[in-house]
Amino acid sequence: MLRFVAARLALIPPMLLGVSLLVFLVLRLGAGDPALDYLRLSQVPPTDAALADARAMLGLDRPLAVQYLDWLWRALRGDFGLSYATRRPVLPELLGYLPATLELAGTALAVSLALSLPLGAWAAGHRGGWQDRLVRGIAVLGVSLPNFWVAFLLVVVFSVGLGWLPPLGRGTVLHLVMPALAICLMSLSVNARLLRASMLEAAGSRHVLYARLRGLPEGAVMRRHVVRNALVPVVTATGMHVGELLGGALVVETIFAWPGVGRYAVSAIYDRDYPVIQCFTLVMTVVFVLCNLAVDIAYAWLDPRIRLGREAA
Amino acid sequence: MSKLASLAAAALTALALPASGRPLTYSWPTNVGPLNPHLYAPNQMFAQASVYEPLVTYRPDGSVGPWLATAWTVSDDGRIYEFSLRPGVTFSDGAPFDAAAVKANFDAILANRPRHAWLDLARQIARTEVVGPLTFRLVLKEPHEPTLKELSLPRPFRFVSPAAMGEGGTTAGGIRAPVGTGPWRLVETRLGVSDTFAVNPTYWGGTPAFERLVVKVIPDPNTRAIALQTGEVDLVYGAAGQIPSEAFLRLRDQAPAFSAAVSAPLATRVLALNSARFPTDDRAVRLAINRAVDKDTLVRTVLDGIEPRADFLFAPTVPYADIGLTPHGFDRAAAERLLAEAGWVRGSDGVRAKAGRPLSVELAFVGTNAQQKAIAEVIQADLARVGIAVRLVGEEESAILARQKDGRFGLIFGETWGPPYDPASFVSAMRTPSHADYQAQSGLPDKPAIDATIAAALAAPDPGERRRLYAHLLSTLHEAAVYLPISHAVAIEVHRSTIAGVGFGATLNEIPFAAMRPAGIGAGR
Repeated sequence: MLRFVAARLALIPPMLLGVSLLVFLVLRLGAGDPALDYLRLSQVPPTDAALADARAMLGLDRPLAVQYLDWLWRALRGDFGLSYATRRPVLPELLGYLPATLELAGTALAVSLALSLPLGAWAAGHRGGWQDRLVRGIAVLGVSLPNFWVAFLLVVVFSVGLGWLPPLGRGTVLHLVMPALAICLMSLSVNARLLRASMLEAAGSRHVLYARLRGLPEGAVMRRHVVRNALVPVVTATGMHVGELLGGALVVETIFAWPGVGRYAVSAIYDRDYPVIQCFTLVMTVVFVLCNLAVDIAYAWLDPRIRLGREAA
Repeated sequence: MSKLASLAAAALTALALPASGRPLTYSWPTNVGPLNPHLYAPNQMFAQASVYEPLVTYRPDGSVGPWLATAWTVSDDGRIYEFSLRPGVTFSDGAPFDAAAVKANFDAILANRPRHAWLDLARQIARTEVVGPLTFRLVLKEPHEPTLKELSLPRPFRFVSPAAMGEGGTTAGGIRAPVGTGPWRLVETRLGVSDTFAVNPTYWGGTPAFERLVVKVIPDPNTRAIALQTGEVDLVYGAAGQIPSEAFLRLRDQAPAFSAAVSAPLATRVLALNSARFPTDDRAVRLAINRAVDKDTLVRTVLDGIEPRADFLFAPTVPYADIGLTPHGFDRAAAERLLAEAGWVRGSDGVRAKAGRPLSVELAFVGTNAQQKAIAEVIQADLARVGIAVRLVGEEESAILARQKDGRFGLIFGETWGPPYDPASFVSAMRTPSHADYQAQSGLPDKPAIDATIAAALAAPDPGERRRLYAHLLSTLHEAAVYLPISHAVAIEVHRSTIAGVGFGATLNEIPFAAMRPAGIGAGR
């Protein structure tokens, strides 16, 4: 197990190198000129002289290979350069914004699990009943509504209409409620449906039937044979949802003026802020790799048939 | 003398209203930046203008008035400007504002001259001199009439305490602290959250009624409108896109909880018509485009009636622009007649053609700008009715800038620069190929003469002569129909009833926060 984790972690550096080169090239293949975007942000007319000056300032007047190697050399020492738009060092700025996003995405994940598991189990327990139909209805709505639209709807109802929740900003638990709800709706719906389906499948399987025949109490059957088996696909889905929650944060953070990394990344993309996009991609790569690792470890714990690393052989 | 002035300043401060404990809250899409007065992005102009002050100020009537300089003289040849500086002014770190400080700032700016080369004055300064403790002299290479206006801009010609400058008295690489002479001091920046300003207790112009100004970072216009509605901010102020126009109208109807106002015309939204490209190289086509667009309907629907219709490149309120021209008014029949007379014949598909080439133009707009997209679609429909086919090209903003720069457009959105740039700095830029205006005019046979007129107008020391040259220039451009003026951009302002004293500054970037006060406290600072 430890070897498996170590091997997976050892893969991160080469993966980051590959991702960095790929992102570097893809960014520069795209149309557009960051110097022009810098002048747009500066409200300076883009004369040829101004463009040349901006390119020199941003280091874009050097050959591509030099730009990449210089960036890589500095990045290895933890210096990801200055943001084109904010002219601050990228990494400290990004790490400054990251906790807010992790707080939001973490809360959303917790809310999603805390609500989707009981809902899914409830629906499975009343298959075909009104409870089941209600949960399925909620799930259909949840996956169909775009999160930014839900966000505005929540604001209109709870901030403008009722005045219960602050419409924007970060600080108290109350500030978390609406953005977390807006981005977790999708994952909540998917998980509830998934758990319902896999619980029904597990409940109908032969080993559950056999457990009942052995006279095990119903609670033990549910806990050890139904729920535990039914959780495996939910864990897979949750691993993927982490990406979705972070992606949802990109949009929703802008609406709630949430000082997170998503908003920072969105404006970086809009402003062609290469150093920020490069650093952001790398940080997100690490986050995703770690999430996938956590999912794999959770598998092994849930299902003894799954063995990680050498033991599987 | 300076003692007397500081006594007077102290008296003014004492007379000022009791400062309110509650902050004034405003919002902006980003943090305001490190507030280096001599650099551009990420420094936000409204904040630079709140902390740093100019030698002279631009006034709403288009004239220039004293500010940190109380008086000035200009030599007969228009090359030497001598400024008497306001006595008793200090930077917020206590350092005196004097001729040496002014020169140190000019030196720092000019050490980074290529960065400021877009501004004529930055190229024109030959040298600067300290004549006396409070007398500063600016010597130009050539006479340059817009000098005072360019000195009034939010950047770069404003003044930071020399002690706060960077290494070796420069500012190009950054400053130590944002220390200016203005009414506000930047005291705290929380990334992605807010910037907080406190009053400058030594401000020579009297202390603002609010003790603090908190600028919250709110990137989304809808969120900004909600923030105002729920009291998270007191004030929305700025270009019309600060909040969606529906939100503006909705809040305006909620008096007296909210007060809303629209400024006088600031700039002009135009389409530039490329005279160097088929088919807009035909003046008849350009004129027909001008006559075929029903601007009144467009302004009433797409712009929600917030911005007034524009008939000319500059609003008549812009200096030298009120010259009594006749608009190319909306007249569909006249447009058809113009095209028919010029030999454009309608084909079976309704599109006109001449010598086998269809009358089809490309209209480039910023794809993410919903307003431009809507305007473009209305214009497409209007022009189709007179037999002109329009292909819409929606691209990113920087791609549109690139098109403006190298002339790859038939019609393209543009905007005049607003006060204090209009008209002088704006027409000056028409001579540079990297501007859409140059590109749009480049097909005109008299383009060299137009450029010569601009140069003469910028250099003319005599106001009468200047007026005549501007009139000639603007009527030439109007007759050539290289623009389709659409509407006049305005600033909007909406504030909660809890604050008072909100008015428009002379330019978009000077927000008069210092004049604002809690409602219920009398004016009369």
